Amino acid sequence: MLRTLRLAGVGGILAYRALFNWTSPSLFVGSLLAAPVFQLLFFVYLGREIGVADDNFYVLGNVLLAATGACVTGGTMAIANERRYGTLGPLLLSPRSRVVMWGGRALPYIGNALLVMTFTLLCAAATVGLRMPMSGMPGLLLALTAASLSGTAFGMVIGSVGLRAKNTMVMANIAYTMLILLTGTIVSRDTLPAWMSAIGSVLPLTHATQAVRACSSGADLAVVLGHVGEELAVCLLYTLMAAALLKYFEWMSRKGASLDAI
Amino acid sequence: MRWRWLVRVVHRGVRAQFLTMSRARLLIVFNVLTPVVYATIAMYLYGADQPGKLLQVSVGAGLMGVWTSVLFGSGGAVQNKRWAGLLEPLISTPAPFWVILFSISLATSIVGMYAMIATVFWGAVFFGMPLAFPSPVLFLTATGVCVLSMGMMGMLLASTFVFMRNANALANTLDHPIWLLSGMLVPIATLPGWMQPLTWVLPTTWGAAAVHNSLDGGPVLWPMLGAIVLGAVYLTLALLALRRVEQLARRQATLALA
Amino acid sequence: MGEHDFRGPAIEADDLVRSYRSRSGWLKPKTNVIEALKGVSFTVERGELFGLLGPNGAGKTTTIKILNTLLLPTGGTARVFGHDVTKDPTEVRRRIGYVFGGDKGLYDRLTALDNLLYFAELYGVDPAEQRTRIHELLELVGLSGRERERVEGYSRGMRQRLHIARGLLHKPDVLFLDEPSIGVDPVAARALRVTVAGLSAQGVTILLTTHYMAEADELCDRIAVIADGRIQTMDTPEALKASVAADTVIEVEVAEATDDHVSALRALPGVLWAGAEKGEGRTSVLTVRAKPGGDLYSAVLGVLGDLHIIRVSGREPSLEDAYVAIVGNGSGQVRA
Repeated sequence: MLRTLRLAGVGGILAYRALFNWTSPSLFVGSLLAAPVFQLLFFVYLGREIGVADDNFYVLGNVLLAATGACVTGGTMAIANERRYGTLGPLLLSPRSRVVMWGGRALPYIGNALLVMTFTLLCAAATVGLRMPMSGMPGLLLALTAASLSGTAFGMVIGSVGLRAKNTMVMANIAYTMLILLTGTIVSRDTLPAWMSAIGSVLPLTHATQAVRACSSGADLAVVLGHVGEELAVCLLYTLMAAALLKYFEWMSRKGASLDAI
Repeated sequence: MRWRWLVRVVHRGVRAQFLTMSRARLLIVFNVLTPVVYATIAMYLYGADQPGKLLQVSVGAGLMGVWTSVLFGSGGAVQNKRWAGLLEPLISTPAPFWVILFSISLATSIVGMYAMIATVFWGAVFFGMPLAFPSPVLFLTATGVCVLSMGMMGMLLASTFVFMRNANALANTLDHPIWLLSGMLVPIATLPGWMQPLTWVLPTTWGAAAVHNSLDGGPVLWPMLGAIVLGAVYLTLALLALRRVEQLARRQATLALA
Repeated sequence: MGEHDFRGPAIEADDLVRSYRSRSGWLKPKTNVIEALKGVSFTVERGELFGLLGPNGAGKTTTIKILNTLLLPTGGTARVFGHDVTKDPTEVRRRIGYVFGGDKGLYDRLTALDNLLYFAELYGVDPAEQRTRIHELLELVGLSGRERERVEGYSRGMRQRLHIARGLLHKPDVLFLDEPSIGVDPVAARALRVTVAGLSAQGVTILLTTHYMAEADELCDRIAVIADGRIQTMDTPEALKASVAADTVIEVEVAEATDDHVSALRALPGVLWAGAEKGEGRTSVLTVRAKPGGDLYSAVLGVLGDLHIIRVSGREPSLEDAYVAIVGNGSGQVRA
């Protein structure tokens, strides 16, 4: 049991340091702190120009996007970079549980997401203002944790596909762009056509966004928890998908030597 | 003689970069998809009640796409060359390095034009946007100038990417600010006063203004001239920076990965 | 080939020093300084094939990168055909070709022909001559007929040959070959040696680094052994071999040798070096080099008395023996 925890915890942190390309100071500040704030400001000013919703709508949506962006790219890198660095072969020789080994890698990203969220919220509060009642804070934290988990799982699905396909990071970027459109973070989902809204309901972030908006408007914790539960269900879906893909590709690699470094 | 040679180097360089990019299918998808998604977001945000704005919005999203393509194109090209071990062989040739970077920037701007075409096409097909360009020639000229000025900004950035191992740090940060400050989608008049001076020094602000004005009858020539002059200034800065950067890269051994 | 007015040597390195700074950690940044070169001087005459040997990290690649203008020295000077590498890089670049081992450094998504065409332009090859020159080179390195395939589908040996073709596009006066045969199969490595010898015969000055002693022995006019950032010795391969020629070298193939046996061999009087290399199964080959005189055979067999001895033989000292003698530190571990 203790050894399993070690593999998940220590292994996860080591993998974070080895594979997440954004841990150098310049990249961390640039990609994880500065970029999200600029994105937030962009959409707030766009929102003001259009006048469809108030600042708070865009602030909350963007905080979620900012915090989970690193989860999606990180989840992707956590798997796909093993191939890029040519370390996948030795890794697959390990006899340890795949679920613990890959799963442990999600942990550091939750901490990352919480850090980015706090920073982005503070910047938003300082520049364009933020409306969030104190009673909403627990719900906000829960929603964000759920969103970072499902975002990382989503990224791991992309990373697993990346074990076979090239240009995985481009795929991650495309996926992230789709999240902006479909999850109700920027565009209210009732203005989208029904089919887009339907896709959104099985994407990470959608239900967490609903939860956060509920917190902000002072809704009951039960309502918030309902949305968080839905987000966790989405997370489970992607976790299972990633696990299945990894298992499939591991088997395929032994059959066809297809995971060898390019 | 020397100029003829440099022109040939640029020509082959653009060709090499262009072929490389065109063979990365997913990258093309990204270059086309991003502006389309942003155009879609903008269209849904503006909604059906402002049909007159649709063309402006879609062209604005197109400009954003071109900038993304230039930014990640130049940044990515330098970074990919480092990963592929190409920076060293490229620099060890007698060709001046600015010519190599210039061809990369030129190629990424040309590829970026995809983004403009894709968004306008997307708007027309899926949102029934009328393609009512008051003067197609003026629009195309303004767009060309705007894209070139972006290329020059991209080149200034690319020159710093040569000695930064983590060039994408800067690239990842610079898409939204330039979109916002150049008034590509949101008019700069809506921005707070302290941001205004920042918008004036960007060639893209003038380029984007020329493009938008070509649609609604505003002045086109003056902003175009502004974009050209500022673009030339950025190019000069890039050349000055490169002279220093190449020396720095040789001193600090940042050309190779290891 | 060009440059008839300059009469000096092709390459002059004078007291080259190079240190690298790296920073680690970002909460408590620490600056580490590594001295890669601590004063390296040598001269390569025109048309000479000069070898640079040494262990990994000894400074071979750093030396080459200073000479081909990719790195600035932190001390000392270097000239290629009289042009200073620090002050006049473009003039140096016109005269040099740079080929390095491994499979990087090419446009993977382009065809071999497109790669060569682009670099031909970068090297300023006359457009009218480009195609002829490229076809000559493709013929020389044996890639004719494959030039329209994308490089991403090339084997390592083919990439290596394409590297060489690229390095020769502009008919350089000096060719830098940095471990060109690394990871190349024996047949391809042999073809590579033939190509290099041919270029040398045409008068191209070549600076070669390699880990393969046989390659250096066969090709080089002179060899410098570099270790720990300094040149330890510099001479012709024959003279280097002669420096250990008087020594006796014995190889013993045994079963189940341990590190203790190697240590015991080393402790024998007159023994200069002893090491072991793993053979098939549980066997290993122990090599002992000793000063002439004394009965080395009985002494060695005495130490190995408890082992099953398969074969004992004496042999001529090789360049590898000379290299090991210079670089020293035969760590004696049974190498896998």
